[in-house]
Amino acid sequence: MMLLAVGCNYRQTPIAVRERLAFTGPKLDLALDELSARYGCETAIVNTCNRVEIYLGKNDAQEAPDVHLIEEFLIQFHQLGGLDLHPYLVHYTGPDAVKHLFRVASSLDSMIVGEGQISGQVKQAYELAQERATLGPLLRALFQHARIVAKRVRSETGISRGHVSVSSVAVDYVRQVFGHFGDKTILVIGAGKMGELTLRHLKALKPQRIWVTNRSPEKAAEVAHGCAGQAIPWDQLDDALGRADIVLSTTGAPEPVVDRRRYKDILARRTGGTVVILDIAVPRDFDPDIHDGDRTCLFNIDDLKRIREQTLQERQKHVSPAEAIVEQEVKRFLGKWQQRQHVPTITKLTQDLEARRQAILTELFRRLNGKLSEADRGQIEGAFRLLQNQFLHGPISALAEDSPEAKHHTLLEALRKLFRLEE
Amino acid sequence: MPAVNERFTVYCFLASYAIAFALEVLHFLRPRPIVRLLSLVFGAAGLLAQSLFVAVRPLDLASPFGSLVLLAWILAVFYLYGSIHHARLAWGLFVLPLVLGLIGLAEIAPAGPEPSNGGTSLWTSMSPSWGLVHGALLLLAAVGLSVGFVASIMYLVQVRRLRAKLAPGQGVRLLSLERLEEMNRRAILWSFPLLTAGLLAGIVLQLQHGAFLVGWSSPKIIITAGLWVVFAIVLYLRYGVHARGKQVALLTVIAFALLLIALVSVHPFVAGGGP
Repeated sequence: MMLLAVGCNYRQTPIAVRERLAFTGPKLDLALDELSARYGCETAIVNTCNRVEIYLGKNDAQEAPDVHLIEEFLIQFHQLGGLDLHPYLVHYTGPDAVKHLFRVASSLDSMIVGEGQISGQVKQAYELAQERATLGPLLRALFQHARIVAKRVRSETGISRGHVSVSSVAVDYVRQVFGHFGDKTILVIGAGKMGELTLRHLKALKPQRIWVTNRSPEKAAEVAHGCAGQAIPWDQLDDALGRADIVLSTTGAPEPVVDRRRYKDILARRTGGTVVILDIAVPRDFDPDIHDGDRTCLFNIDDLKRIREQTLQERQKHVSPAEAIVEQEVKRFLGKWQQRQHVPTITKLTQDLEARRQAILTELFRRLNGKLSEADRGQIEGAFRLLQNQFLHGPISALAEDSPEAKHHTLLEALRKLFRLEE
Repeated sequence: MPAVNERFTVYCFLASYAIAFALEVLHFLRPRPIVRLLSLVFGAAGLLAQSLFVAVRPLDLASPFGSLVLLAWILAVFYLYGSIHHARLAWGLFVLPLVLGLIGLAEIAPAGPEPSNGGTSLWTSMSPSWGLVHGALLLLAAVGLSVGFVASIMYLVQVRRLRAKLAPGQGVRLLSLERLEEMNRRAILWSFPLLTAGLLAGIVLQLQHGAFLVGWSSPKIIITAGLWVVFAIVLYLRYGVHARGKQVALLTVIAFALLLIALVSVHPFVAGGGP
């Protein structure tokens, strides 16, 4: 088996070089076709914003193409004359290439460990190569197995638990409080740029209405227009706070907009359920003491950033178990692949013995013609079949136990192992 | 060879539920799909054993044992449904201890006096139809209140998590506060009329028995009446003054505690079980 993974990623390669090496649009199809034709290999390309990796495989070859040839190909293909790619390229062969792809698919090699996008991108790479007919049995099995590994790592470790962007963490908190959003009102206070992404995430929850208020009515109208919301006057802020379910506050006010006493009055008038306040303004717009986790859930920018950091730290704890799964799966894949190579030999051996058995039995029954009952014939056939199965059991079991790391035997040792002579 | 009803003992399903719960805890600590599946298998096996137990052994709803085992059985169905429907939530971690607790309580609760007239209690012998209506209504009310209790405990845990601003993806996975409050509200809304109707059926039973003033000092009746009052307060707080969340959840927990005391108390209608 020949397997080679060559490419660059965010660790060794600056974005300026990665951009030039990226296979965008139709270039990806062309590269797959050309690599496959040039080296007579199965080919797949994993192309993301953080990595460009070429996978070449060939079942009946042992020697991988020289990495310098792939480097030359990249320079020619992307017309990068004068650029020395050598310091940027990394390459893996054989089992190391298998392990690398499994680590990539499981997001162990990602910039943000545990991110969910990469397994989809590996799947896309597989599907595109399948579409271009550049896959063969080796890469097909490898990429399919990579998806299984990614799934196992995700489900058996906590590596992908939680979100790592402030906006996603905010939405996670909102989801812990509310189960449905079709009857909810979002109140946006201020027009800070920092709130734009969070508002976009909140809008994706499809709330019933979005209200926007600002000291400047023009700015309120502008933000409301941008998010298909409704601008409300600043002097109605208390009334709006009493009716809103989710509040996103992003003002640039130097003092808190809502202090504890003011909020107490608002809460006394409130008839609705819990309110979630996402105070991402700096300085903060709401007094932090109003948070009780029951009627009012207040999260400020520091809370959201702390959760992001915690999530990243928590994910690190799961790296080691995830690496262990990858190691296990590499062995499993290589073992299965090795056994797959034995299938034609086992089939041939079985067919050969079957033919010999049939020939001997035919000759035997011809000689004993008329002297055997149907029951006798059945017994003789059964005995020969049993002998054949017992004879095959040793070699088939020995092949099944074979692994890539198994030591080479002398002819005598092999004979003993094949026919279980040492037992 | 032992008879079928002798082969199914309380310990059959108690052990299955205990293993299912242990596996739920293990799955919480170290998530593995196989552990989760095994937990469901043991939970289902426990439910099957308990169903057979309930089917082959006549349970007296008036006895603490009968009412607690039947309540646990219905809640076991609720557990299994919830565990499959809310596969990603820590459902079993909250419902299974309740099921186990009720079965354990059934085992240690006072058995009540032996039926005096040919294997049936006075409760069922004196007016089978009203007795059944009374028992069934109170059992259904107990189911509703137990569901409300589970929702309230989950709610309180979720509030605690939110108050501490724990990371959303960490620890036990629960329904949102809103969904838990809805679950509690619905459970109470269903239970209150059932409890009221059950109590009225009890009064009719007393009247039929010609002893309207007898048995009112029984702890079971006093606690059940107290439970009704707590229920009424919960409903008033929820709909009269729009109280929400923690306050309602805490009152539901108190109501459930009263329910447990009422369930383990001996029924005054059972022969010899009166005050």
